[in-house]
Amino acid sequence: MELFIVRKVLEANTKTADEIRRKMICSDTLLVNIMSSPGSGKTALLETLIPRLQKRGVRVGVIEGDITTTRDAMRLQPLNIPISQINTEPFGGDCHLGAEVILPALEPFDLEKTDIIFIENVGNLVCPAEFDTGAALNVVLISVTEGEDKPLKYPLMFRVCQHALISKIDLLPFLDFDMEFLKTNILKINPKITILRISSKTGDGIDEFADQLIRFCGKDDIAKSKC
Amino acid sequence: MHELTIVENIINMVEAEIGKRQLDQKISKIVFLAGKMNAIIPESLTFGFDTIKKEHPVLADAELVIRILPITVRCRSCGAESTIDEPEFICQHCSGTEIEMLTGSEMFIESIEMDEE
Repeated sequence: MELFIVRKVLEANTKTADEIRRKMICSDTLLVNIMSSPGSGKTALLETLIPRLQKRGVRVGVIEGDITTTRDAMRLQPLNIPISQINTEPFGGDCHLGAEVILPALEPFDLEKTDIIFIENVGNLVCPAEFDTGAALNVVLISVTEGEDKPLKYPLMFRVCQHALISKIDLLPFLDFDMEFLKTNILKINPKITILRISSKTGDGIDEFADQLIRFCGKDDIAKSKC
Repeated sequence: MHELTIVENIINMVEAEIGKRQLDQKISKIVFLAGKMNAIIPESLTFGFDTIKKEHPVLADAELVIRILPITVRCRSCGAESTIDEPEFICQHCSGTEIEMLTGSEMFIESIEMDEE
């Protein structure tokens, strides 16, 4: 006997992601999912970006998806923001954050008093692209030391993201890096993606990204319009 | 290794489907379809399935058939439909960039087969 069922395999994840989206819309909070290879500078970006957002009155929270340690959360502690640490296996955990782990990770936040929550996803260009987290914005970081052909090797990642940040541009003088070739490859996969060159070390491009996030929230002064 | 999560989802879904219909025959085959964009490694999926199925008596003898679907797209500007082999989302006919994916990025279970009584 053959039964035709035709059901999407990740429908349970999508359902939870929809629940997260509803929650975020109700509290008017922007959820931003940051993804990249390991070592592209996700934590460094947050370290530089968050103080600049705070200066402009934006109230920020972070969900840390570091799979084996709390190192990333500790690096962000000086920022004095609420951090929700996702705990997985002590030796090699999961390769991505599914919606089912994001939903409980939102519990510690006072969403009514939070404007933006960043998810620092697990360093990986394959698996996180597959799992909807409920984020309104997906951002991929690709550093200039990774090679210009990466978008073609990991197309789904560049397809699901609205922003691509080319990071570590302070290293460009030391590399044979073809910036235009990387941009062409990113745009082949996703012609509508917004590309920004950043350096968390020098601060290049960081204010511009902060502007884009604030504009996405639809308010010039987010903090004042809430509460 | 997102294959393991996918295998768990497949098994949960199949068990839910047969539970819903109150069937008690053993499953012999599951047909799973994934798009080329999903970057599934069939060997990893099969390995994960063969490992986990042993814990589920009704699935213990089941075979997982994996079919990979091509990426098909439609250009929103000129309406041309095509199948692409390389991940280039630019219309080959009019160079349009408003490209809609018709197939190639979804994973689903198409059917399950059960032993006859």
